[in-house]
Amino acid sequence: MESTLEQHLDDTMKNPAVVGVLCTDQQGHNLGCRGSLSDEHGGVVSVLAKQAAALTKDPTDSPTVCLESESGNILVRSHGTITVAVHKIAS
Amino acid sequence: MGCCYSSENETTEQDPDERKPLIPHPNPVSKPPNGTDWITTSVPSARTDEQALLTSILTKTAQNIIDVSAADSVMMEQHEYMDKARQYSTKLAVLSNSLPQKKALALPSLTSQPHQVLASDLVPYSDVQQVSKIAAYAYSAISQIKVDAKEELVVQFAIP
Repeated sequence: MESTLEQHLDDTMKNPAVVGVLCTDQQGHNLGCRGSLSDEHGGVVSVLAKQAAALTKDPTDSPTVCLESESGNILVRSHGTITVAVHKIAS
Repeated sequence: MGCCYSSENETTEQDPDERKPLIPHPNPVSKPPNGTDWITTSVPSARTDEQALLTSILTKTAQNIIDVSAADSVMMEQHEYMDKARQYSTKLAVLSNSLPQKKALALPSLTSQPHQVLASDLVPYSDVQQVSKIAAYAYSAISQIKVDAKEELVVQFAIP
């Protein structure tokens, strides 16, 4: 079942710079999350990716949204029907 | 978002006078004032469609009209109006205070010093590559999710 995804999220969190990871579907339903990103963020993350994708005319080009702050970046990226957000602190 | 916590069930400890209309409905059964029976539930088949349509329009109109002149003379004094207005505004103020303020949940750790962030180095391309790799892996992991049937959903009862 979803053990592969859970394992993937755990592996991602093993990266010392990563403090949070979230996986959501197109409607903002949380598919899995770890660390600083929780299931309440699913909606914001999916909408950010959707709005960013609406800026480009090329439907195959999937943009990466990066929210920068002094304590780290949150990178949001869509792939197919899912959107992933990764919270990285400055290393 | 559009819901203001309106509920029909919250009628506890409420003044029944609050919901009383200012002008009572003069013809609650929608009888026209002149006594003729406009509302014929079964339109005779001999009537044309046009007549049926006209009848239904008349019926609807009669239902929607509130004849103020025919209303019972429940006159309200000026101070009663003022009292009611005050009562309603007090009730509204109490209710709006008790409504929980719903705040949109922000993503964690947004900056208070934008110049520092803007002056810093660009996001490393390796990070962008990393996140797109993570997304691709996650997508493939999700596509592997399938129903793992362990037992039959339909079972046969051992009917002799």
